[in-house]
Amino acid sequence: MTAYLLRRTAFLLVSLVLAGALLFLLLRLLPGDPANSLLSVGATPEQIAAARRQIGSDQPLLAQFTSWAGDMASLDLGESFVGKVPVGPEIAARLVVTVPLTLLSFLLAVLLAVPVGYVAARRADRWYGTLLGGLSQLGIAVPAFWIGMLLITVFALNLRLFPAGGFPRDDWADPADALTSLALPVATIALVMSASLIRYVRSATLDVLDSDYLRTFRALGSSFPRAMWRHGLRNAAVPVVSILGIELATTFLGAVVVESVFALPGLGSMLVKGIEEHDYPVIQGILVVSTFAVLMIGFAADLVQRLIDPRLRGGSS
Amino acid sequence: MRRLTLVSGCVLAGAVVAIAVVSFLWLPYPPEDTSGGRLAPPGLPHLLGTDKLGRDLFTQLMIGARIALGVGLGSVALGGLLGVAAGLVAGFATRWLDDTVAVVLDILIAFPTLLLAMLLVAVRDASLGSAILAIGLAMSAVVARLTRVLVKRVLAQDYITAARTSGTSWRRIVTEHVLPNIWPTLVVNLALQLGLAVLAEASLSYLGLGPPPPNASWGRMLQEAQATVLVAPVGAIAPGVLVVALVVGVNLIADGLRDVADPTRRRTR
Amino acid sequence: MNRKTPWLIGAVIAVALTLTGCGSGSGPESGAQGAPAGTAASGSHDPEATIEIGSLYEPQNLDNTAGGGQGVTEAFNGNVYEGLFRLTDEGKVENLLAESQEVSPDGLTYTFKLRQGVTFHSGAPLTSADVKYSIEKVTADDSQSARKSSFDVIKSIETPDDATVVVKLSDKSISFVYNLSYVWIINHAAKDLATSEDGTGPYKLGAWKRGSTLSLDRFDGYWGTKPANKGVVFHYFTEATALNNALLTNAVDIVTSEQSPDALAQFQGNDDYKITNGKSTTKLLLAFNDRVKPFNDRLVRKAVSSAIDDKKLLDSIWAGYGTLIGSMVPPSDPWYEDLTSVNPYDVNLAKQQLAQAGYPDGFSFTLDTPSYDPHPTAATFIKSELAKVGINVTINVITADEWYTKVYKNRDFTATLQEHVNDRDVVWYGNPDFYWGYDNPDVAKWVKDAERSDTVEQQTELLKKVNRQIADDAASDWLYLYPQIVVAASNLSGYPVNGLNSQFYAYGIKKS
Repeated sequence: MTAYLLRRTAFLLVSLVLAGALLFLLLRLLPGDPANSLLSVGATPEQIAAARRQIGSDQPLLAQFTSWAGDMASLDLGESFVGKVPVGPEIAARLVVTVPLTLLSFLLAVLLAVPVGYVAARRADRWYGTLLGGLSQLGIAVPAFWIGMLLITVFALNLRLFPAGGFPRDDWADPADALTSLALPVATIALVMSASLIRYVRSATLDVLDSDYLRTFRALGSSFPRAMWRHGLRNAAVPVVSILGIELATTFLGAVVVESVFALPGLGSMLVKGIEEHDYPVIQGILVVSTFAVLMIGFAADLVQRLIDPRLRGGSS
Repeated sequence: MRRLTLVSGCVLAGAVVAIAVVSFLWLPYPPEDTSGGRLAPPGLPHLLGTDKLGRDLFTQLMIGARIALGVGLGSVALGGLLGVAAGLVAGFATRWLDDTVAVVLDILIAFPTLLLAMLLVAVRDASLGSAILAIGLAMSAVVARLTRVLVKRVLAQDYITAARTSGTSWRRIVTEHVLPNIWPTLVVNLALQLGLAVLAEASLSYLGLGPPPPNASWGRMLQEAQATVLVAPVGAIAPGVLVVALVVGVNLIADGLRDVADPTRRRTR
Repeated sequence: MNRKTPWLIGAVIAVALTLTGCGSGSGPESGAQGAPAGTAASGSHDPEATIEIGSLYEPQNLDNTAGGGQGVTEAFNGNVYEGLFRLTDEGKVENLLAESQEVSPDGLTYTFKLRQGVTFHSGAPLTSADVKYSIEKVTADDSQSARKSSFDVIKSIETPDDATVVVKLSDKSISFVYNLSYVWIINHAAKDLATSEDGTGPYKLGAWKRGSTLSLDRFDGYWGTKPANKGVVFHYFTEATALNNALLTNAVDIVTSEQSPDALAQFQGNDDYKITNGKSTTKLLLAFNDRVKPFNDRLVRKAVSSAIDDKKLLDSIWAGYGTLIGSMVPPSDPWYEDLTSVNPYDVNLAKQQLAQAGYPDGFSFTLDTPSYDPHPTAATFIKSELAKVGINVTINVITADEWYTKVYKNRDFTATLQEHVNDRDVVWYGNPDFYWGYDNPDVAKWVKDAERSDTVEQQTELLKKVNRQIADDAASDWLYLYPQIVVAASNLSGYPVNGLNSQFYAYGIKKS
């Protein structure tokens, strides 16, 4: 296990460095000089030069990268060209919205998907098993923003049960208030996400149900619930956990669209704005932070998977 | 049951393809005709009514089908080619190169299609080509990873080792052993990717980062109809229904194909 | 989301196209005392109410000389910062921090006496040093202020005592006082102006939560009349739909400026809301490149102008709102005249002019079209209209950034679409170096003379001549004037309805 942990950590570090380099290069391909955003019309060549010096876009690429990597390593994400404020605290402020949104959606999706997926598999021969399978098929085909639109129309504009968008000015000072604001966005993400999770849970359960060892246990006289509990669930959970890791990461970043449907001041809306304004430090900062988060989630998912999977565990020790 | 999956998938997706094909031959109204008047209700002469500029909604939907399928198929073609090529290279490569590719792929996959697409749009500006390129590139990482795994699995077989030691050329190993073994799984996966590409295009267009107007795109139609959803709900529903129909259709085809390609799948896994 | 881009360029254009406004202190005298809304339901209002304002224009930062953009003007102008003069919602210029002014007979020396007893939010008293600092901040080398070039005429600023400022000009400038109404007076010792403020206005900055809200709290030490509310909160949206939904669900009380008619149906005929149609200065232009073929020919420009049915375009985009204009001058500028008949919609006339110009079978050109609404729609419409006279239009969709580089800076275009937001901007036609390249020495001279006028009448007369000449030359095709629509909950009163130059005075807003 220790050897595995070391190898996995090394992989994580390499990934971070490579991801950083990729991001840096990709962003430098953006057309237009970012210095433009600092200038008014009719700026003189001297002013343009001054702006470029201020931003550093007159430096050679390698020099820009070295100074950038140094800043990143010291957790300095730079200052927004347009907003003139440090990017780091700004991102932290946005995480107050995005992280709860992601986690709540994830939790709700798992709570929905696990029982539904299990029933869909266990009762695949009954009408409701088929129906649940069919609904999940439908669910993965629906664009998240469309669900959001429909939820707003029904629950905000017609029934007036929830706000149509926005987030309380004082963040979580009044948790009930904040939760009400997040209700529809969370429902939107959870619906879309649970659809694909249901399919994984269903197929993982089906595989276990079909497995020889389960049949053997039952033949040996174990009751079905008991056999399932002791051996089935654990085996079914292994592929599901690795999927969960990917899904959680997807939710975190996929919040971009949903945040824009619900006018939530999260990381996603910040990124969209940054892209439109060619605000390099903002785009970079968000991508660095989200890449880090995604890689960490993958790391955690791998560890959990290894802990619960008897085969993998056995192999390494 | 399996036949049913495949057939219903073909019906759904086929309907959308038919609409797209017909749109090249015939349209109820010229696409830029605004004579219908603002937000006419469904009925005659406008089957589904008009949008806020007085354009016939049904006409716009038909053109939207072209865009959806165009971007979907275009990005699958691009992503498939790049992905399979990269996957083959990695699968055959030395351990060092293979590891590097694996790490890069993992990072790329960590970024969902949509985010990568947004970045590329920022680099290249919103256009039909950007959408295809962005979605195709993002997809290629997934395809490459799958191909790599499949290739490794085939190469580990004893008969390949035998063939390699007996001096069979790489080209023959690829064409005679590897590709025939991996393509069924690849085709199924590409079909799933097509559905994802259609969804990604809709989301990009919704964000205003897809093919720019006057191209009619379902995602942008939904975005525009959002403002008038209480007054003219059809415009906010119809494009969404088509997106779902197409994606469900494509996914069902993928499921059906998988069963055909690998009838023993459920037993062997 | 795509609603964001318009104001990205909106800011660029505001920066770009704001010239030295050519007015004196007197705006449109006819500006009939504001809105009906402004006078309703006083008396029973709640002075401790907080007004929730919905807007699409979040500031980039809080410094209007460092690219704060239109959003910071909307939130801060007159609310947090005050000028020596105030431009009222009706377009009049009145004294604010300047108690009095004196102009020397040659028009080159202005002496301002400052109001006494004014303090900044930090507690420091207002002195002439602050005024000098504030004007110099606008004219500084690194200033990105839209007004910068307006003050090129300033030769020196002197502060003989704490209450007096003397400004010397190098040439006469009839718009000088008008322009000063845009200069915020800032405490010369203030720091971090991109994220904080130190002004003299009736509100001080509460909190700014980026991407979401900006709140202003009543300033208890304010020298003038206390605001009619306890504070205001600007809620920022990137999309008009989300903004309207917020109004529909009572999350905000008022929307500063509707950018599409789509949602208005939901508020019309609903007693809970009031819709006001104020004065607008935003014009949609089909701007020709007057330097290059075929648009260097006046007849071709006139033919194109006559071939497009502006009324139908306006109806399809704004559904009955908005106004047709025949030149660059909106009705709220003093030198407005109705010139819509100069190039009437007349397809036969257009064909005739084309034949006369040597294009009996029409021609082809590329129309550079910004990617955000309403430009693509308008381009599609223009394409189908011009097809009727044999002109083939290729629509080239470009981003705001590209427009700025390709069209505005490099003049690499044949024709383009663009919205121009400022008032008094007809004077751009006097500059042959401007992006559209209209070069008429008479017009250039009239514009110059107008600025050097002694009286408003003289100035108005000259600019009317400019106006008629550019219409007659079809220097551009002025498609229509946008409407300026404010929607508010009906328990609100006293809000500005014209939103001149994107300012939004909040201190008069009453909630009952």
